[in-house]
Amino acid sequence: MRSRSSAPALSAAASSVDGSGVADAEVRDATVAELVEAARGGSAAAFTTLYQRFHRAVHAVALARVGAADAGDVVQDVFARAWAKLDTVREPAAFPGWLMTLARYRAIDRARARGPAASERDLAVSPPPTSEAAAALRAIRALPEAYRETLLMRLVEELTGPEIAARTGLTPESVRVNLHRGMKLLRERLAGGTP
Amino acid sequence: MNDEYLWDRTGDDPEVAGLERLLGGLAHDAPLAPLPPRSPRSPRGRWVAVAAVGLAAAAAAAYLVARRPGPPRCGSDTGFAFAIRGGAARCGGGVATGRGVLPVGAWLETPADATADVTVADIGALTLAGGSRLRLVATGAAEHRLELAAGALSARVTAPPRLFVVDTPAARAVDLGCAYDLAVLADGRTRLTVTSGVVELASHDRIAHVTVGATVTTVPGRGPGTPVRVDAPPALADAVARYDAGDAASLAPALAAAGAADTLTVWNLLANAPPPERAAVLARLDQLFPRPEWILERDVVAGQRAAIDGLRDVLTSAVWLAPSDDAPPDGRAPSKK
Repeated sequence: MRSRSSAPALSAAASSVDGSGVADAEVRDATVAELVEAARGGSAAAFTTLYQRFHRAVHAVALARVGAADAGDVVQDVFARAWAKLDTVREPAAFPGWLMTLARYRAIDRARARGPAASERDLAVSPPPTSEAAAALRAIRALPEAYRETLLMRLVEELTGPEIAARTGLTPESVRVNLHRGMKLLRERLAGGTP
Repeated sequence: MNDEYLWDRTGDDPEVAGLERLLGGLAHDAPLAPLPPRSPRSPRGRWVAVAAVGLAAAAAAAYLVARRPGPPRCGSDTGFAFAIRGGAARCGGGVATGRGVLPVGAWLETPADATADVTVADIGALTLAGGSRLRLVATGAAEHRLELAAGALSARVTAPPRLFVVDTPAARAVDLGCAYDLAVLADGRTRLTVTSGVVELASHDRIAHVTVGATVTTVPGRGPGTPVRVDAPPALADAVARYDAGDAASLAPALAAAGAADTLTVWNLLANAPPPERAAVLARLDQLFPRPEWILERDVVAGQRAAIDGLRDVLTSAVWLAPSDDAPPDGRAPSKK
């Protein structure tokens, strides 16, 4: 694990490569807290690395609440706000939970503005999902909230359990339980044809 | 079925792999949109900047104090823009009509026949009702803070949690992403009604977590009461009011009157209940909502904040702020203690 004292050096390194658009190995290997510190200092490379690590988890949080066509917009909206408001993260290591909370509120706002996650907005992506995929997505959305986001991260975004824990701030044990129980419910509902 | 494949993709589970193939096309792979410039700020540079800002502020303050004693002048400083509707209001002790700017430290006072629309930095807006008194305490990247000494306001804020705060004589309202109505009543009590999202009301070591459709009243010196739905049954609202006023015997009738739509009330009772009462409150909450198995009864009853707040977070997502097409809680008992 990297020490927190390396953050200033990382900030300088990240800033030095921003102009070239190439994030160096130090930025790629940095901890989340270091990246947040560097991004607060104005490093677009550090923030882009945060995006690369978290955008799929944020997308899953959005997809749990809005149609697929809107979920991508929510992702960009969340990261634009995160970039503008990074200074409000009191503890850089708490960034994952802060970002997920921000994503939930933005997705909820979008859902309220657009109404329920309509199937036509799920189909308005390229390529459109098959009818089977759309049915599976509906079945996941009908699951209890605790399982919905976790299963979307695992099945749509193809994050592993440990990756989900790292990106959400949940404990690995909680993620494992969510995956197991959520998948059990999903199997039952898909088998019964009742999403 | 192979749980290890579901966990970390080791081993084999054809059904999960099939779902991955089916749904993988929906995965997000768009690049980050272009970012606006952000001022570089190293830790040393930050302190230099803070010191420079502090010195500049001190110099400016000294100049203003020497030149113009009295409250901050409205309209010519940075602050929150406002527009008066109706009669003449007062800002910083002077008459304010039409548009103006409320600087840090100044009071905006509306007569009974006027209201004010106030822009809250770049995160939202509020309407100050007639007969109100509002002061801008601070505004910055980390926090925007107002003080409502009298009257009422309706606020709508879109921002990360805890960025917008309003102090009243009885409590502190902390925005967690929401819209709400806040009123200081004639007897000094504060009443908060949330119309969207979540607000936290805090004082005297008590916290009320208030979500859309709920209201809570705070008595000066006592801390926030327990939130109830705006349309809660009178039996519940009355029992909760008596319990908040110190009648411990009213807890049982309050729990009995709480239904599936009152999990917010029951969770708040749980969060502020003394240890001997927690088990009974949790038992009622378990009847109303299937507690996730990783939130253990013993942790909640022991008062562990992580467990109680974890339960709050699950309820927030699953019930209190769930999209309208969500299925209601099915009332199943928890599967594990």
